[in-house]
This record gives sequence, structure tokens and C-alpha cells, in this order.
Amino acid sequence: MGAFLRISLTISCLSLFWISASASIPSRESLGIAPQDLSYYKSDVIKCKDGSKKFTKEQLNDEFCDCPDGTDEPGTSACPQGKFYCPNAGHIPLTVFSSRVNDGICDCCDGSDEYNGNVNCPNTCWEAGKVAREKLQKKIATFQMGVTVRRQEVEKAKQAFAQDKAELSKLKSEEKILKEHVQKLKEQKERIEKAEEEERKKREEEQRKKREAERKANEAKKAFEESSHDNSDHASEILSELPNQDAMEDHHDSAIEEKSDYTAETEILDSWAVGKQVANDHDDTIAKSGDETDDTSEESSFSHVEKQHLVGDQEGTMPEANTGDYTRSKEAPSSHVVEEGQVSDNTEGLSREELGRLVASRWTGENAAEEEDGVNTVKEERHEHDENIPEENHDGYNSDSDEDHNFDDDDLEDDPDMEFGDHGEPAGTYSYNGDDKTDYSDLTASGSLSWLDKIQQTVSNVLQAINIFKSPVNISEADAVRKNYDDSSSKLSKIQSRISSLNEKLKHDFGKDKEFYSFYDHCFESKQNKYVYKVCPFKKASQVEGHSTTQLGYWDKFEESYRVMLFSNGDRCWNGPDRSLKVRLRCGLKDELLDVDEPSRCEYAAILSTPVLCVEEKLKELQEKLKDANANRPSVNDEL
Amino acid sequence: MPSPASRSPPLLLLVPFLLLLLFSAASAWKKDEFRNCNQTPFCKRARGRKAHSVPSLSTADISISDGAVVARLLPSQPLRQATDGDDPESDTVPPRPLLLRISVYQGGVLRLHIDEDASAPRRRFQVPDVLLPDLDDRRLWLSRLSSPAAGSSSFYLAEGFEAVLVHDPFQIQVRRKGSGEPVLSFNSHGLFDFEQLRAKKNDDEDWEERFRGHTDTRPHGPQSISFDISFHGADFVYGIPEHASTSLALRPTSGPGVEFSEPYRLFNLDVFEYLDDSPFGLYGSIPFMLSHGARSSSGFFWLNAAEMQIDVLGPGWDDPAAPAKDRIDTVWMSEAGVVDAFFFVGHEPKDVLRQYTGITGTPAMPQEFAVAYHQCRWNYRDEEDVAAVDAGFDEHDIPYDVLWLDIEHTDGKRYFTWDRVLFPNPQEMQGKLAAKGRHMVTIVDPHIKRDDSFYIHKEASERGYYVKDASGKDFDGWCWPGSSSYLDVLNPEIREWWAEKFSFENYVGSTPSLYIWNDMNEPSVFNGPEISMPRDAIHFGDVEHRELHNAYGYYFHMATSNGLLKRGNGKDRPFVLSRAFFAGSQRYGAVWTGDNTADWDHLRASVPMILTLGLTGMTFSGADVGGFFGNPEPELLVRWYQLGAYYPFFRAHAHQDTKRREPWLFGERNTALIREAVHVRYSLLPYYYTLFREASVSGIPVMRPLWLEFPADKETYNNGEAFMVGPSLLVQGIYEERQKSVSVYLPAGQSWYNLRNGVSYAGGVSHKLEVSEDSIPTFQRAGTIIPRKDRFRRSSTQMVNDPYTLVIALNGSFAAEGELYVDDGKTYDFEQGAYIHRRFIFADLKLTSVNIHPANLGGKFPSDCVIERIVLLGLPSGAKKAVIEPGNREANVELGPLTLRGGSSPDAITVRKPNVHIADDWTLRIL
Repeated sequence: MGAFLRISLTISCLSLFWISASASIPSRESLGIAPQDLSYYKSDVIKCKDGSKKFTKEQLNDEFCDCPDGTDEPGTSACPQGKFYCPNAGHIPLTVFSSRVNDGICDCCDGSDEYNGNVNCPNTCWEAGKVAREKLQKKIATFQMGVTVRRQEVEKAKQAFAQDKAELSKLKSEEKILKEHVQKLKEQKERIEKAEEEERKKREEEQRKKREAERKANEAKKAFEESSHDNSDHASEILSELPNQDAMEDHHDSAIEEKSDYTAETEILDSWAVGKQVANDHDDTIAKSGDETDDTSEESSFSHVEKQHLVGDQEGTMPEANTGDYTRSKEAPSSHVVEEGQVSDNTEGLSREELGRLVASRWTGENAAEEEDGVNTVKEERHEHDENIPEENHDGYNSDSDEDHNFDDDDLEDDPDMEFGDHGEPAGTYSYNGDDKTDYSDLTASGSLSWLDKIQQTVSNVLQAINIFKSPVNISEADAVRKNYDDSSSKLSKIQSRISSLNEKLKHDFGKDKEFYSFYDHCFESKQNKYVYKVCPFKKASQVEGHSTTQLGYWDKFEESYRVMLFSNGDRCWNGPDRSLKVRLRCGLKDELLDVDEPSRCEYAAILSTPVLCVEEKLKELQEKLKDANANRPSVNDEL
Repeated sequence: MPSPASRSPPLLLLVPFLLLLLFSAASAWKKDEFRNCNQTPFCKRARGRKAHSVPSLSTADISISDGAVVARLLPSQPLRQATDGDDPESDTVPPRPLLLRISVYQGGVLRLHIDEDASAPRRRFQVPDVLLPDLDDRRLWLSRLSSPAAGSSSFYLAEGFEAVLVHDPFQIQVRRKGSGEPVLSFNSHGLFDFEQLRAKKNDDEDWEERFRGHTDTRPHGPQSISFDISFHGADFVYGIPEHASTSLALRPTSGPGVEFSEPYRLFNLDVFEYLDDSPFGLYGSIPFMLSHGARSSSGFFWLNAAEMQIDVLGPGWDDPAAPAKDRIDTVWMSEAGVVDAFFFVGHEPKDVLRQYTGITGTPAMPQEFAVAYHQCRWNYRDEEDVAAVDAGFDEHDIPYDVLWLDIEHTDGKRYFTWDRVLFPNPQEMQGKLAAKGRHMVTIVDPHIKRDDSFYIHKEASERGYYVKDASGKDFDGWCWPGSSSYLDVLNPEIREWWAEKFSFENYVGSTPSLYIWNDMNEPSVFNGPEISMPRDAIHFGDVEHRELHNAYGYYFHMATSNGLLKRGNGKDRPFVLSRAFFAGSQRYGAVWTGDNTADWDHLRASVPMILTLGLTGMTFSGADVGGFFGNPEPELLVRWYQLGAYYPFFRAHAHQDTKRREPWLFGERNTALIREAVHVRYSLLPYYYTLFREASVSGIPVMRPLWLEFPADKETYNNGEAFMVGPSLLVQGIYEERQKSVSVYLPAGQSWYNLRNGVSYAGGVSHKLEVSEDSIPTFQRAGTIIPRKDRFRRSSTQMVNDPYTLVIALNGSFAAEGELYVDDGKTYDFEQGAYIHRRFIFADLKLTSVNIHPANLGGKFPSDCVIERIVLLGLPSGAKKAVIEPGNREANVELGPLTLRGGSSPDAITVRKPNVHIADDWTLRIL
């Protein structure tokens, strides 16, 4: 710049009277005028395009602005609103602001904007044009392949959509039938249980009498006999003595069914502990249970299951429970709110460094921003607990929260497909593995008899076979009813959960051709430095650093006719807006999340390349552009 | 890249930060963190005194010595015992005599110096390097004292002025000779109090002061000074920045029915989210006050860098029954230092400014690019961001000259370093900007990260260049980098060392197009008392921080500016923006009004704040356009650009948590409005540059209160909404949302031309005008000529060769005058006469270009630039052509647009392509 300055200062200030710079430069009459406009300037008296005035041919490009819109000075810098056309032979023509004309900076690749001799602009159009054309060709190639991929995708999406719709209506009708059966079974079961109850009371009374007698006879012997009882009997006995029997009904059931899975056992032990019915011969087990309650940091599947109950039942009283970040961080604000009054008025208690950080944070929010996650996780927790089933599906992919999941359907826990996709998955695209990915094969399997038919058969068998007025109740018959009831109601809740997840999915807008249908079950990942960004269309987007996750936003909508996905209402920013993410979609041969950026504080942007955006119209447009570019090639330079 | 705030911390770190949130959430000004007068013992004591309640002093041994008046000050009568209980530190020991010395300087300046005698236990601090080094050469040699009345001595001050020293009780008065009308008086209310240094009365005496957990050991005990100054013939007083205020004149702080209950505080502080209207101290301090009234203008400057508190006493403060008229009394209180005070007698207000800048210096002549538009944000994140913002301006045809990088560009807030991930190729980046004639500014703050691997810290600590704490160790405070130490810039040797750090070899990654921004130089210390340095910290020469606090930022600014000067071998004019300032800072660069807020009241307050800075020498100043904190609504942002385009220093800036607000982000309409606002500034660059030249010669600010131009028009005295740019342009801000109309007072004596539509308005009247979104009301005063450049470029650099437009606004006698100053915009060659300075005079239908470059100076600045257009406002129609001499050339006269920008502007009589050279003498006659 220094050189330029010196030169321009010493050389002429402005070529006010026309200097014909070189032969390659068009005449004054056509300077800066686009070819299609040349005819406009033919006449001797020319109108300003805005109609405000007229000017003579002599006034065209005479370095004095006569038309406010710049009509009379297309080739000079005299009019602030003027535009200068560079032909750029060999490349694409360009129209620049007239402020660029003779400003000492080469703007047009043909150098036509700098003609006053202050600066020499080499013609670079051929090189630039070649590069541009090659780029364009590449883009067209991508589009050409992409269009094919897209067609297949759209086909698949349409099929999947239709399938899901069909499944939904099928499930709805099945749900109706099944509901009736479950109702019948329930009534039957209750009748059986009532009978059993009476029977048991009778037996208990007998036993009590018997025990009293025995104790009187021999206390030591009684102790021996009790210890030889088997677990389930014992459990059922004890449970039956618990005050709130209704609440324990399910436990009772599982105990009776002798289910030995951890859930059942834990619950029983829990209940036991609560009821303080500690029997000597179970000391060991109970002690174990107690340990785990106190120290849940032990990552056994046992404690894992137990935690779910702790979160649900005892959240408030379990400050040490390792239930992820949520419980603890929820605690944190409240405990500090108490201190607020004392501290805000008096910083004397702070160390010098704390005070320094504190004051710095007013401007930066940097430190303060870190505790915002406390706030956010509270919000997150709200999501977890307050929202209905579809929202839970929503949360299901999150590795941070999967430990906290409450599953209504115990059966799901045994489901081998119940895995969360983001454990150790490589970065990139992966399926969205929420609980709607649960294996529903038993719901959909086709066989000689459908499962529904089977249930219907069994139910009618059971109902016919049992004489509920028979006393004592036939154990095997009662068990059969209960088992049937459990099976059916479990199926029902599976169906219902599937229905609601299908409903949740189908309510979205998947584009004109349902082209985004497959996105519903996909997340896209991109690793940038220490952050991993996850974008799950129709669900949410997050930024993960190590073990901490920041929600960048929840699915909001498509924008710009399906070219942008908007996620909004993410975690709040200190002193700023709620985080949000705009994902711009562009044509690419595979799904790839690129260039995640934060152009404005807490407003993120990313690019997702995907075949879905490789639309035919755009391809045609590009081909047209390439044709034009080739047409503009000066024949002498034509290398092909 | 995500900003640091978007990181999620490990859980365990949350707890302390939660505390922080509670603080931050309750945002806004932390009033409790700053001391009020009652919490400041010297202020409380001084403020509690009633007129004439201080034991009075009398002069003794008055004589002329070395051309100055000298005397001793002694207690008037046998000393009374400590007067009352609320004066616990008052001295019961008989004081030693004080030494008084009064000198007089050319141009009507009286200097009063009062200090203790040599027997004092310690030398009091006198602020060095603020007064111009040649000041002593301009001292008048007094030879004679006269005795106009018994008990007083008088001596010559200036043509028509004399000073009177009243012997007992001691008092000084500056008055008009002959009429005896007083102009300024010192101690006429008997509030002069000088706490002499002494030993502790007994070991139990507690000199410590505690404030919010900070202890000031105050090892030298009470040493404050206070006195009263009366401005006679004054309707209003102005000055003593920096305070946020929506009023231009200083409102009374004490007396019957006053609004403010605190004195104006001068104590340089980094105030988070400051209020738009408050007497509390901000980033800089200039203890200079001006008064103006219909009969008189005067000024008073106290060269003292310790904490100062100043009360402006409302009428009736001393006697509610008989409020004084035409007089404003003030009380000045300082924690330490000496009395080194200057009285300026004026006639006209501009004289007072000339007198003040005559002793503290006139503003430095900036480079041309620095007068153009600056684009800043905390932070432009990386080189891509810089490139994108740069490209954005080009794409939207909005000119800008400077792109700024805030603290995040450094490697861990180690200034002079670059974050090598974000800015791997700083030189290349600057080169790309420079290729478009653009510049870059990076931030360099005075706190040095205490990191042994950081060369600045290593050298500074090895050489003992840091300020020491009260125990003698390097002071360690908290700032952006964490644990930091602060350079002791009071020491000239350290300033020299610091200046070297700006050489291209030392500042790796810097290029000649890079300039500097000094922030946080109050100094801001996050964990210090009042977010600053403890007063008992020790500087060079055993000076306590309390004694020089307000000048710390000044010395830092000075050292940095000298660094850039050295870097360019004394040829390249430095550009350094500083947040802190003191009297004299105008010699070293620009300042801005710090961390303001994106609201309408801060927009409004910016004008009185900048006007006040201009009145006190700091003409190169501005407020962050858009407001630093918060997100301005587009309307506010547009209005801020429209106003900010007229600030002497025109920079947009924003906090890192705000939404991006580059001009094109608010829709096409707003982009166009902002473009128009920026274009207005660029078209007026020749005028602004000419005004900066005037400021650098005379001290008269670029942006002026109306009364500076119209001292006789009382309506203007407290107008803080409108201002003059130079002598010719009047600008009225729009400070309210969706404002439909505005009342604009146009000063008397001339008519005014609306610069948008050419309509003429009478002066001396308030006009109710419709407000459009296109612009804020701007008027050219009849009788003036404004040079413009109407072509727009990417930056001012490309405008160098562009032709000029002259806009001539004729007065009632069809006459007008204006000036144009042109030099190379970069170097000091102008000092050798390499410049063009023309006066354009229009009279009798003839425009003449007169050379006002003094012939004896020699030197020449070559330019082939011409005037392409002359617009005449107020000329009766009928002009046919223009004839130019020499050469007897003709140019067409026709109707042309008043401005070439935006929309339809009505036509005005225009001389088409006169193409006369600005460097030449010529005349142009309208026929």
C-alpha cells in the first residue's frame, strides 16, 4: 500500500479528461457497460434509468455524476451508486461497485477496472476461469451422482413412510382387541386374588395358632424350622404382612412367579428394608443391599437398576446417589442460594484469586458460564421427568442420561436390542437408537398363528378352564391367569409405546417427497478439536466435551424451503440467548456433518452434506452455468 | 470454534462458579464496590465543613523572587483547638508554614503553587511530564507588586486582567483591571485546608483505611488538600471528565434542592455497566473546569493525580436566603499531592481552551485513516472471521479503515503474542487488509501475565520494572491473564523499555499497518480495592499509588504512543486508543467512553461526554457505536451510526456475548441506512481532517458545544443534545425510539441549511422538525464552506486522489468562508510545511482560493486533486456559468443534487466540473 500511495500521490490525481489507456480497453462510450445494455446508450440524449434526468452522449463516462442512480457513469467512480461491468473474457463477467474503478486495487480479472495507469492489473481471467469451470464440473458430477442416490433414498423413504403408516393402523386395531382381553384377564386375576387372599388369611390364622403353640413348645426348634424356608415363600409371607399391600402388589406377583432377575430381588429387598422385617437368615443379602444404597458409585448392573428406583422414589434424600450429573447439579443451586445473601454483599471472605475471577467473570461470563450447566441440567432433568413418552424416546440417544432412564416396561430391560448407539461409536453417521428401536419382532413376526391369535386362544382357554369359585384355588390355574395377564399387558404396553413413538415420528414434516424420512432415525456427528457435535434431526443437537454435554437446541423446523434445519431453545447462555443451531444442507454424496461453527455467541451453524439436497433442478441450473462459462471462452485460448 | 463460555465444566468446578452467577445475574453497576464520599475520610471531612470554618491562613513575607510572587502561609491567629469531634484527624500541633508561589504565563494563565517547606517528613508528589516542556519559556517575568488597598497585593496577569493576593485571611482573586470585576477566586469562602505530613500523634493513632476487605495501610497518614474556587460571571460550569451524564453543564452536587448527593469524583475506575447519569468516577480524570456566562469565560485546572472530589455548589449553598447570582462556587478536594493550579481568564471560551491546551498540549494530529470508520468487536475470533468481516464490508459497499482485535487474539492474554491456532499468520492477515488500504489495531494492556516463560514478564521482573505492593514485593493482582503484575510506567526508563517492545523485531507478527489499543489502564485490577490498584502500592521514587493513580493510564498511553513513534523512526504518526486518561493525554492519541450499554440513554449521554472531553483537550474521542453491553435494536443501532458518524472517533464495538452486529446483519433497509451514515462520514473526511488540524494547532475541539461557537447565545449554554462539528455543521441526535419529530434549536445570528434537503431555517429559534429514519437532522451554518469528497471507496486510503466538492452556504450578504487542510495523512512532513492549507472565500459572486500556508515555513505538499463540483446554497437563481481565472476557463452552472447519496435530494445550483486544483490559487466568478 505504501508503494501505491507514493505512486498515486505523485502521479496525477485523477484522469479527468479521458485517457485512452490501451487498445484492449473499450472506448469511453462502452466502458463499464454490459453488452446487453449497450443499445440503451445509443441515442444522443440518454435518460437516467431512474427517469430523473437526461444527459448527453458527452456526459456519458465524463467523470461527473449527472444521474443519481449512476446511469451516466457506468465506467467511472463518479457516481456512488454506479455499477461497473467487467467483461472478463475467459471467465464469467462481473459487475462491481463503481467505487472500485481506478482505486488502485485490481477487482476484475481482466483488469478493466483499473485503467488510469496508477496500477497495472494483469489479466488473470483465463486461469481463474479454468479453476472455476473445473470446480463447476466437479460440482455437476457430484450432483449427477447425487440425484440418483437421492431418487433411491426418496423411494426408500416413501416406502418406509408407508410401512410405518400401515403398521400404525394395524397396531391401533390390535391395541383395541388386546385392551379388551387384558381387561378380561384383569378381572379374572382379581377374582383369583380375592379368593387367594381369603384362603391365605385362613391359612395364616391357622399358622399363627400353630406357631404360638410351637413356640410354647420349643423356641429353638422353631428358629431352625424357619431358616429352612425357601426364599420366595418367605418373601411372600413377609410381603403379605406389609401394611400397604396394594403398592406391593407387583412385587408380590414377581415373587410368586419366582422371577430371579435383579429388579425383582432388589425391589423385594428394598421393600424389606423399608418394612424393617429383617430376618436373621437374610442378613448377608440385606447388608449388601444397604451398602449399595449408600454407595451407589459401584457400577454393577445391580446398582444400575436400583438407581432407577432411587431417582424415582428417593431423589430428595439421596444426595450421594450417582445418578449422573443431574441429581447433584440440581442440588447445587439450592444450596448456594442460601449463601447468596451473605456473599453478594460481602466479598471479603473470598481469596484474592476468587475475587479476581469473580470480577473478571462479569465481563467474560466465562466462569459463570460454567455453572450455567447447573441450570441447564436442571432444565434437562425437567425434560427427563416431566415429559411424556415421546419425549423420552427423544432423550434416549443421550449417553449422559441413559443411566437415568425410567422404563415403564420391565420387559424392555431384558431386551437385547436395548443398546444406546453412542457408546463408543465412531464419529460419523449412526442410527438413532432410542427405545423405539426396541425389537418389536414379536409384535410383527408372521407365523402360522399370529401372536394375537395365540393370545386370544390362550385367554379363552384360561378363562374357560378356571373355576374361580373353587377353593382352595388351583395354583397352576391361577398362575396361568397371572402369566397370561402379565404377558398380555406387557404386549399392550409395548404396542402402546410403539404407537406413540410412531405418532411422534409421523407428525413431523419430512419434506415434499418425504425425502428426510430416514433422517428421523439418524444422528450426524462431527469432531472438532475437543468437541463432538451431534445433530439428530427432528430431535436435538448437542456439543459433547468429554463427559459433559451442552444442548445446542431442540428440533424446531426446516427453513428456507428445506435447506436449513433449525434447532432452538438449547441450553441458556450466560448473558446471552438460548443456544441454537442452524444446519445448512447441501448436496453431497454421503451424509456428512461439516464445519460446525459459532459465528455469534451461542448461535451455532453447521453444514450437512447429503444426497437429499441433490435436486435435479439445481443440477440443470449448474449445467446451464457451465454451458455459459464455456460459451464465454475466447476461442484463441481454447485449450480443448 | 466455540467460545469459552460454551464449554461445560467438570462437575466439581461448578460450586464456586455458581456463586459467580449470582453476582453476574444481578448485573448492572456495582455501586457498593466503589467508595462514596462518606466512605472516603478526606472527602467526608472536607465536605462537612461550612464556609469560613477552616482556621484561616495569612500570607507573610510576600515578595517577588525569580520573576514570581512568593510568600509564606501561616495561621491567622493563635491556633484554635481542634474545632469539633467529627474532625478526628485535624491537627492539633501548630503547622509549619506553607510555601506559596504564583507565576504568570503568556496568554492569561496564572499558576498557583502551594507546598510544604523542606522540613516536611516527606516530599509530596508533583505530577511530572504533564505540563509542556517549553512552558517555562512562556513565563512572564513579574517585577512589581502593587498594593491597591491595605492588606492586599496585586500584579499583572494579562492585558486587561490582574491578580490580587489578599493577605489575611489569605485569598486570591483574578479580576478585570479597571472595573475590578472578579473572574476567578481562590479561598474566597475560606475552605482552604492543607493537611501537612506529620508523624503519628501516638502509636495508637490508626491511619489505616479499610474498604470491603481491603486495607490501605496509609503509612504517611492524612495529607489531603481542599479549597474553594469561585467562577464569577458564570451561568454554567463544564468539564472535569469523566462522568456519564445526559447534561452538558455540570449540575450542582450540593446546596438547596440539588439532585446529586455525591461530589463529582475524579478517580480512574473500570466500572462494569456504568450508569448513564452519575457523578461517580469513570475511566479517566481531567481536573479542568470551564465556566461560561454571557459576560465571562474562565477556567481552572488543578494538576493533581490523586483521588479528587469536586462539589459544584448550587446557588444558596452558603446562604439559602441570599443565593449568589452570576457566580458558581466549587469545592475541590484531593487526597494527596500539592496545590499546582492554573487559572485561565479567557475572554471568549475558545481562549480558555487555548490557554489550557497551551500548558497541557494540543491534540496530536492523527493519521487520516484514524479519522475514518473503525470496526471492532470483542472478539473477531480468527483469521477467517477477519477475512469474512473484511469481505462483508466490500460486498455491501460500506467503507471502513480499521479492523480491531480484542484480547482474545493473544496467546493466553500475553500481549504482543498471537493465539497461533486462531491467528497462525498475523502478518499475512494484516497484509491482506493493507492491500485494500486498511489497517489493524491490536490490544495491549498494562497488566503482564506472571508467567516465567513470557519474555515481557521475565524481563520486567528481572529488571524490577513492576509496581511494588506495600510490603515491597512485586504487586500481584488479577486481570484477564489471571495473576498479573503492572509496569511502573511512572519511571521514564521503564517507559523507554516498554516503547521498544513495539518495534517490528520485538512485536513478532506486527507490520507497519498495525496500531495499538491500550485498555484496562486505570489500572483495572479485578481483585483490588474498587477494581483497581491498592493506594499504598509503591512506584518509582517511593511514590505511592494514591498520589499518581489518575495519571497511571496517561503514562502507559504515553509509553505506548512513543513506542509506535520509535517503531516508525519518528516518521509515522502513532495511533493509540486509551481508555484511561489524564490531563495531557490528548498528546498521545484517542480515547473512548469505555464500556457503555446498548440503550437510548447511553446514546444520549455519549454527546455530553464527548463534548466534555473535547472541552478538556481530548478532542479525539468517541463512544462505542451500538453500545458495548447488550444487543441494540436495529433502530437504535442505526441511530447510533447516524450520530456516531459525527463523533471525532468513530468506532463500532461490542461485548463478546452480544449478537453479531456487522452493519449488514439487520436487513437490507438497515444496511442501506448504516451505509449512508458511514458514507456521510467518509464524504466529510476532508472537513474532519481540516478540523483535526485546527485542534492540533489551537486546541479547539472538532466536536464542539454550541456555546463554543455562539458564546453570546444563552439558549445554547446547556444544550447537550446538539453539537457543532467545527464552525460549520450542526448535528442534532435522535435519542428516542420511533421519534416522529424533534425540536432543534438553531443558534442566533445566522440562518441554517438542512443538509438533507437544502431548506433554509432561521437562527435563534427552535424548529420542530419531522424526523425521518434516513438521517438525523444536520445543518450547515450560513456563511460557511465545507469541503467534501463525494466518491466512495473501500477505505479512506483510496480516496486520496479523488476530487473534491465544495458546499457553499451563503449568508444574508451572499458571503461564505471555509478552510481545507491536506497533507500526506501519515507522516510528520507537515511540520516542515508539506501541506496544503487553503481558505475559500466567497463574496461578490466570486470564490477565491487563498493560500494560508505561511510562506516562511517552506515545504510543499504536491497534489493534483481538483474540485469537481461546487454546490451553492442560498444563491438566487439565474446563474449561467462560471469563469475561472487564471486561464479564463468556463464551467457550466446547472441544477444538481445536493448530495449524490441515497434517495432523491432536491437540486441546488451546481458548478459542474470547475476542475480547479486545490493546491493552486484561483478565482471562480459566477455569471
